[in-house]
Amino acid sequence: MKRCQLLVLGAGPGGYSAAFRAADLGMQVVLVERDATLGGVCLNVGCIPSKALLHVAAVADEVKALSAHGLSYGEPVLDLPALRQWKSGVVGKLTSGLAGMAKARKVDVLRGDGRFTDAHTLRVTLGDGSAEDVHFEQAIIAAGSRPVALPFLPNDPRIVDSTGALELPFVPKRMLVIGGGIIGLEMATVYSTLGARIDVVEMQDTLMTGADRDLVKVWEKRNMPRFDRVMLKTRTVGADAAADGIHVRFEGEAAPAGAQVYDLVLVSVGRSPNGGSIGAEAAGVTVTDRGFIPVDRQMRTSVPHIFAIGDLIGQPMLAHKAVHEGHVAAEVAAGHKAFFDARQIPSVAYTDPEVAWAGITEEQARASGVAYGKSVFPWAASGRAIANGRDEGFTKLLFDEKTGRVIGGGIVGTHAGDLIGEVCLAIEMGADAHDIGHTIHPHPTLGESIGLAAEAFYGACTDLPPARKR
Amino acid sequence: MTIEVRVPDIGDYTDIPVIEILVKVGDQVAAEDALITLESDKATMDVPAPQAGVVQSIQLKLGDRVSQGSVVLLLEPLASTAAAPAAAPAAAAAPAPAAVVTSAVAQAVPAAASARDIAVMPATAAATAPALLQVAVPDIGDYHDIPVIEVLVKEGDLIAAEDALVTLESDKATMDVPAPAAGRVGRVLLKVGDKVSQGSLVLELDTVGDVANAAVVVPAPAAVAAAAPAAAAPSAAPTPPAPTSTPAAAAPMRLPPGAPAADAAGAGVGVDFTVAHASPGIRRLARELGVNLNLVAGSGPKARITEDDVKAFVKQALSAPPVAVAASAVAGGLDLLPWPKVDFARFGPVEVNPLSRIKKISGANLHRNWVRIPHVTNNDECDITDLEALRNQLNAEMAKSGIKLTALAFLIKAVTVALKTYPQFNASLDGDNLVLKRYYHIGFAADTPNGLVVPVLKNADQKGVLEIARESSELAAKAREGKLGPADMQGGCFSISSLGGIGGGHFTPIINAPEVAILGVGRSTIKPVWDGKVFAPRLMLPLSLSYDHRVIDGALAARFNALLGTLLADMRRALL
Repeated sequence: MKRCQLLVLGAGPGGYSAAFRAADLGMQVVLVERDATLGGVCLNVGCIPSKALLHVAAVADEVKALSAHGLSYGEPVLDLPALRQWKSGVVGKLTSGLAGMAKARKVDVLRGDGRFTDAHTLRVTLGDGSAEDVHFEQAIIAAGSRPVALPFLPNDPRIVDSTGALELPFVPKRMLVIGGGIIGLEMATVYSTLGARIDVVEMQDTLMTGADRDLVKVWEKRNMPRFDRVMLKTRTVGADAAADGIHVRFEGEAAPAGAQVYDLVLVSVGRSPNGGSIGAEAAGVTVTDRGFIPVDRQMRTSVPHIFAIGDLIGQPMLAHKAVHEGHVAAEVAAGHKAFFDARQIPSVAYTDPEVAWAGITEEQARASGVAYGKSVFPWAASGRAIANGRDEGFTKLLFDEKTGRVIGGGIVGTHAGDLIGEVCLAIEMGADAHDIGHTIHPHPTLGESIGLAAEAFYGACTDLPPARKR
Repeated sequence: MTIEVRVPDIGDYTDIPVIEILVKVGDQVAAEDALITLESDKATMDVPAPQAGVVQSIQLKLGDRVSQGSVVLLLEPLASTAAAPAAAPAAAAAPAPAAVVTSAVAQAVPAAASARDIAVMPATAAATAPALLQVAVPDIGDYHDIPVIEVLVKEGDLIAAEDALVTLESDKATMDVPAPAAGRVGRVLLKVGDKVSQGSLVLELDTVGDVANAAVVVPAPAAVAAAAPAAAAPSAAPTPPAPTSTPAAAAPMRLPPGAPAADAAGAGVGVDFTVAHASPGIRRLARELGVNLNLVAGSGPKARITEDDVKAFVKQALSAPPVAVAASAVAGGLDLLPWPKVDFARFGPVEVNPLSRIKKISGANLHRNWVRIPHVTNNDECDITDLEALRNQLNAEMAKSGIKLTALAFLIKAVTVALKTYPQFNASLDGDNLVLKRYYHIGFAADTPNGLVVPVLKNADQKGVLEIARESSELAAKAREGKLGPADMQGGCFSISSLGGIGGGHFTPIINAPEVAILGVGRSTIKPVWDGKVFAPRLMLPLSLSYDHRVIDGALAARFNALLGTLLADMRRALL
């Protein structure tokens, strides 16, 4: 039987970060991962490969747009196997880097499916079917989540989840995206640029739920040409696989009469935590009906020496949240007094334009009665955005009425995801409009829109028409 | 016409430090007014103004070392007014010389305006018509929309330059807006409760019409709009002075650390850090140290909590009495029931008056002292029949000299002797150390129209009763006029709260932390005292000695009180 001070179950961003941090703090760590490579969903079948494809799509769209700016290329030639290879190369580079870093830290990586058998033992079923028990003093559960499947859909290779879509099996003529969240819309962007016509069906009354409407509207205005149908407040009720495609039936406000035929159907209706499939009960760890594992601010589960982090402790299911939680758990396990005290977890849709937000949204503020002040800098007044030919975006900051500190922000526009970091820092630091506005931002950049929005808040922005006297 | 004021002949001293700067730019000073205080190893000495004038600039700062000839400040002499004091009443009556006065003021105002950034906008052209100044809120740092908590003047009031006009209260401090010049208050443009920022108009000031009068009237305390004295204390419990900060020194200051008692165990898993104004790094440090950030006052810009604040909090927590450390976070360290909420109006008509600023400040100090110091009060009586006879006899003899011997003077003398005998009473707790003081500064509560203040009589051991009497009545007079400076109220070793002039017997004075004892003196009454053979009528004085039981035990307190009684019964013993 293997013995270790700390066992980490799951080698996604949260898990490997926890394992590496604990190893750096002097603990002897075993990292259990069921997949062949480290990095979990994010690196292998999530954030990273989708960004590789989105990058290609964005460049393709930009090249096409260049013809209006005086530079034309010929029609693009798609080499699908080469594109897949590029994507796999990106993933491979990162996962092999992780493997090297695990080795350098002397983290013992064990490949297999792990299930707890008691509060100090994890049984790992290895690839060859044999089992190995690992005895641990403490453990961190980082087993992540999986895509939600719709049980009424037939089993057919043309019906895929995000993992299947990232494999780029072919470029469909007509594609249905079930679920208008970030994952579905990112994949819609890729497939649409590669030539597919897209329908999207969403049960809620808006796409990209969670983001403020004004941000989403900018994205919608630019992206509507990608879609034949955007079916809001509509549910998918059934599908039949036929030779000519998947026949899908809908019900609801925007449901078309009769079944629609698609070459490819992407199911992206959310992710479900894996807390229920790791034998956590055997260890005494409380798991909710839906598979979440409740934890406290130190990431401790109901069993004090077992921690949980990442997707399976709750929303939002984001890698950067898991990484921070992983560090907290590892530090607490190593005897430090660490806590998860973050004030904001940013969200980014890597669509085109990107939509990014951090801290409180206007919708949340209104719902919870937080008194806030708002300032918007439209990119139509940004020299850089105009020069880029992409001035449809805007930068928005929300301030606490009482303290004047920034409590939220949203950006829609190219590279919004890269820009939102400054807003994140400002929220964590408790910066107010003057702190941000009096920070000299480089010109001309998209980033200066954050400084200009702050200036606009206290009436000192000279790149906007004069503020109306209040 | 600016003159340089230099350090005069100060004997053999060279390179001695400046320990206090008593004036600031824009101040109008009279000849002989103290400008700065120097401290040699033997004594402190003031550098006086050579003549009346307006301070233009100050050429040194606290801690600078000076010698004879060092430049102290630049003074713009008030040539016209300096010559005028005697003639002023006449000048005020006659219209012609008023123009002279006007020019003097016109000189003074721009100096004040430029140097101290007071927004002074002459409403009319310079010296021809009466100069109506619009006085605005000066630079008050980063505060916006802070409330006016007190309006100290009303229309028609005569005020001197630098008199406080209104008091503002930020979350960190209260500050007075001073008058930029002397004059008569015109319309007051704000009221209590208004929110103001830099530039908000305060009032109109007529600087001409009555300046001559004002200049003359200034020395008479009655006409001076009271520059609110720094601190006051309810009768039994003097509090440490909390100087009001004027805009010239408007650095945000921390409130006395009374409220948040230490709660070292308070930063547990249940504690949410999302409100505290602290960066992620500081939040992490607070977690490491187990500090509940929600209880830490920030000293950084905009009340940001700094690393030093967190460390200071820990230090305070560690030096606090264990009972406070163990207590929960609720109610400043005490796990108390919530304050009863009663709708008094249900039972009859009521009137609601907000607590004054002074009450709030002293209240916080009193509360801290009451809950943090284990008080015990030793009550005793002493026979002052002979002392009173002596005092009355001496006062009759000295009737012509103008000096009046007070009972307080004898009390201070007797207490000083008792402090020398029992040095544990002349001490302060500092963590695990007891600091024994080798000096004898005695505070005494003085009743003033602005509340109670506690001037401190310095080096009582080096002074005779007559000198103590003279000095204490001077301090009391200063207190009544609202002229006590912070220096007059600092450095106390032991306090006396005498209610003898009002009435009452024994009571429980609250110790004035960080002192360790306080003497409460009641009203003396004639009582029958058994002298072994018969009951004799004796004048008995109630003494109530509250002491910090962590420092002083009961037997020692009884000895101290008994010694006091012996001394007061026969002051000749104080000579021994």
